[in-house]
Amino acid sequence: MDVRSNEYKAHSKAIIRDSPGVRDAIRGATVAFDQARKNAYAEVDADAWRRWAEGVKNHTLTHLDRYLEEAEARLTENGCTVHWASTGGDVRTVVTEIARARAAGSVVKGKSMLSEEVDLNPALERAGIKVVETDLGEYILQLLNEAPSHILGPAIHRSLEDVQQLFSRELGTDASGTPDALANAARKRLRQEFLEADMGITGANFVVAESGTIALIENEGNIRLSTSLPKVHVVLVGIEKIIPRMSDLAGFVQLTARAGTGQPIGCFVSLIQGPAAESGDDGPDEVHVVFVDNGRTDVLSDDHAWETLRCVRCGACLNSCPVYRQTGGHAYGWVYSGPIGAVLDPGLLGLKEAMPLPFASTLCGACFDACPVRIPIPELLLYWRGRAHEAGLTPPSERALLRTFAGVATRPGLYPTAGRIGTKVAAGPLGKKLPLLNDWAEHRALPKPSERTFRRLWKDGIQ
Amino acid sequence: MTPTGRDQVLGRVREALKQRAKLEHPGRLTVDRSQPPVDSFRDRFTQNGGEVAGPEADPREWLVRLLSGLSSEQGSTTSTIAPGAHVPASWIQGLPVAGPEVASVGVSMAWGAAGDSGSVLLESTGGRRVQLLPPVHVVFVPESRVRPTLGEALEAAHPALPATLGVHSGPSKSADIGSTLVKGVHGPGRIIAVLVPAPS
Repeated sequence: MDVRSNEYKAHSKAIIRDSPGVRDAIRGATVAFDQARKNAYAEVDADAWRRWAEGVKNHTLTHLDRYLEEAEARLTENGCTVHWASTGGDVRTVVTEIARARAAGSVVKGKSMLSEEVDLNPALERAGIKVVETDLGEYILQLLNEAPSHILGPAIHRSLEDVQQLFSRELGTDASGTPDALANAARKRLRQEFLEADMGITGANFVVAESGTIALIENEGNIRLSTSLPKVHVVLVGIEKIIPRMSDLAGFVQLTARAGTGQPIGCFVSLIQGPAAESGDDGPDEVHVVFVDNGRTDVLSDDHAWETLRCVRCGACLNSCPVYRQTGGHAYGWVYSGPIGAVLDPGLLGLKEAMPLPFASTLCGACFDACPVRIPIPELLLYWRGRAHEAGLTPPSERALLRTFAGVATRPGLYPTAGRIGTKVAAGPLGKKLPLLNDWAEHRALPKPSERTFRRLWKDGIQ
Repeated sequence: MTPTGRDQVLGRVREALKQRAKLEHPGRLTVDRSQPPVDSFRDRFTQNGGEVAGPEADPREWLVRLLSGLSSEQGSTTSTIAPGAHVPASWIQGLPVAGPEVASVGVSMAWGAAGDSGSVLLESTGGRRVQLLPPVHVVFVPESRVRPTLGEALEAAHPALPATLGVHSGPSKSADIGSTLVKGVHGPGRIIAVLVPAPS
């Protein structure tokens, strides 16, 4: 996917202006998910669960090399082939070669943000391999040739009417089909794809080092099918997905479900150790696991940003964010959007490519309250803003304003005078022209400043 | 010797962690295990959208009733079953059988179940297609193998895990079309857990 984060301001304005339906659809879905999460958190000791999960992830990340080696050893013992990919190009090469070695002509895919990061689908298609997305939301997007808008509900920006029109065109369904009828049509078509596919490709929610277990969480069943029917299964694993022990897995699976959709657990959790080994097991005869870096070690080496790697890709922060809610994910211009995107993209892509995402926030902190692994997103947003300022990436007028403010605020003699002048200017006609205030002041009357400043009142003895 | 992908990635991980303080594992997560496991399983599985039947002393008879009910719902077509490898032969004796791609009902024997999450645990050695393809999935659950928590169930399963352990906690569903919930999108739209005595 091309990185278009630099266009965030223009892109978000365009979405709000031209596609009011998107805003309504996103708001409806995210508010519902956010409320469901709150209810699900309230049923358990969410604070204790979240602190525990944060602790396990921190322990794992600070011992990551050891756990990666342990995971590799167990997976290999279980009969998997483990590959290591430094870059997106490496992932594309490895997966295409696996497909060639098995003469695979068609692939069914479970939803994988990592595969979007590395543009895997186009690479497979260039190699003459048919790729079918099987998550219902991703399937809709594939037919529309669109990028995902949300981590868990990739097509939430699309209305029922959109899907009715699309399926009528592509699947021959009734133009006024009910969601049940439309889903049934997709199920029939995709059932054929599952049965005929040579290879299944998925991501991984967690990989348990102790047992060599790949854990995948879903509600539809397309991942169970993609990892069971084709003869080859390829798993893309970001190196931060490792957790140490089997005794950690249940907690993470349940916490991720509660955070992401408000369910106590996903309808299907696949715990995959390796290829089918015994008679009676009609699963794949080959399982390939690709450990992927693609910028994660850069993030790991940053003393602040490394905490971002705790992310379990639940989407809770997106659902809680008042800014994300206005536009959905496309405005952010890359795979990871919303609050997590704003702090992860600078680390994975570089700050210049990811600007101005760290500024696409009111710092309200709702994301931190939602996050199941307590990533300090507001603090990280401030960290990246500071880095952006130092690197000269912020608008010159803003830097000039901040320099002026710093100059005045640190001079006790200047500050009171500046205060008196400042309030008079802001309240006058010139106020609307000031940077930072201009858009905000366009539809609002600024409050009338007091006759006496606080310093004056204090000197006079406040009554 | 040129560094392999493995050397490169692990090398960068070690470099990144050079100055990082090592943090300890916080230990086990305490979860509520106060409710009797079978009651908890019944409540949770039902809340998740599944159905719970039993305890059933005559599993074959139960299947006969189910098939007869399905047949009358769907007109004159005979409802068929696709049995999994671990289901005792006496429970399916004489019943109309078909392959999982075409059968009306998949029938499995669970390895176990978990009360707090409302989940049945299914080994891939029982046959994955049976667990996934038919629109209705019947899972026989030995009452004695319902554990209070998912954590306990998984730790009991490890290290003798099959190639895949499926943790199924409800019917297949999606809200991807206009944010409306639909069932049976890819997996079974109906899952029925039937509590049974442990098979002899």
